[in-house]
Amino acid sequence: MDKGKEAGTLILTAAVFILMEVAALMLLSRSSTLQNIWLNRFSHRIMALNWSTAESIRGHFSLREENEQLARDNFLLREELRRYREQDRLLEEEENGVNGKGLFKYIPATIVKMSRNSLHNYIIIDKGSDDGVHPHSGIISRNGVVGVVQAVGKRYSYGLTLMNSFLSVSARVGRDGLVAPLVWDGVSTGRGYLKGIPPHMEIPQGDTVYTSGFSFVFPPDIPIAVTRGISEVDGATNAVSVTLLQDFSSLRYVTIVENPSRAEIAELEKEREEEQ
Amino acid sequence: MTDAGYILRLLLLLVIQVLLLNFFNFSQYLTIFLLPAAIICLPVRHDGIYALVLAFIAGFLTDFFADGMLGLVTCALVAVGYARTWILRFIFGAEFFARGEDISFRRLGFWPVMLAVFLATLLFMLIYVWADGAGTRPLWFNAVRVLLSTLVSTALSVFTVNLFSPERQ
Repeated sequence: MDKGKEAGTLILTAAVFILMEVAALMLLSRSSTLQNIWLNRFSHRIMALNWSTAESIRGHFSLREENEQLARDNFLLREELRRYREQDRLLEEEENGVNGKGLFKYIPATIVKMSRNSLHNYIIIDKGSDDGVHPHSGIISRNGVVGVVQAVGKRYSYGLTLMNSFLSVSARVGRDGLVAPLVWDGVSTGRGYLKGIPPHMEIPQGDTVYTSGFSFVFPPDIPIAVTRGISEVDGATNAVSVTLLQDFSSLRYVTIVENPSRAEIAELEKEREEEQ
Repeated sequence: MTDAGYILRLLLLLVIQVLLLNFFNFSQYLTIFLLPAAIICLPVRHDGIYALVLAFIAGFLTDFFADGMLGLVTCALVAVGYARTWILRFIFGAEFFARGEDISFRRLGFWPVMLAVFLATLLFMLIYVWADGAGTRPLWFNAVRVLLSTLVSTALSVFTVNLFSPERQ
């Protein structure tokens, strides 16, 4: 007997078997109340199992959509929180006689590509000039600083991540501490250091390092890292090693930080350079 | 064995089976069934569907004439009808069907045939006792009933196998 015919016979026999078993069970169900209840309970259990399996499969396939919705919700909540913080800051500045200006603008984005294993790591995100992104905008996530936008296309932007030896971020130890540039150590995925620390400064271990707000890229007080220890560099300055808060291996959604006063600040800097 | 000869013997066994069920209830732990062995002894030239149809009819007639629930023996015997090919293939090998031999102690040996009958009876008893209890009896009771009934029924099935033996014809 050839294989096809054999398979056909097997399927036909199985179908006849199922049909006859169903007929027998129907007979049994009609002839006794106890067996009727038992079979009903059994069929309900099978149905419940089918439904729960189908539901879990459907849930699994809709996870991506759920995640994106959660990311959008998170972004809106974080933006609201930032707005309140910014308003607090402006109120504080006004109370102190300072005319506070320029709320930062935030744009949610998804990472399209990101490198992690080179000395000059980069990131590509799905927002470009059509979405209002400009070069030298900051890239942050809920864990802290991610990088800085370098080049902008119509729909995509290219940026340098904090794991890039060319990138340096102005940072502050604690809320009111020392300000120093923070750079990646160039070796490990989650380590960096604060450069140019005067030898007399004592930096306690475990302090949070925030953005200083001294550049037009990032607003102040965004957490970046935690201090680990201090080491002497060349006798004149020390370096503070830090652990970055951002886990670059699990990053998917980011926020672009846009400073509306960026052009004005840049213009001022340019004029100053020309005068010199 | 001719088909007519097999059907006649099956009808005789049906009568015996109904009498056993109606008048020989020795204990609640023991139910004797000779029909699974009869399904195993079906001439091998017949395919699985033939065995299924025969098992369904035999089971239905037993249910109808015995003091039981309609569909109970049918349900268990149809499963034996389906498993028959697999049991015989497992014990006697795939070439057994190509040879077209009928089941008999003299041709196939006493213990291999008894093993086939034991497996068929065990499957039958598992379904029968499980469906009969309908989830109301404790597991140990069902286990003892299955074990005891399978062992006694298999032992008595020597008679069934001899009845269906082609040498008898």
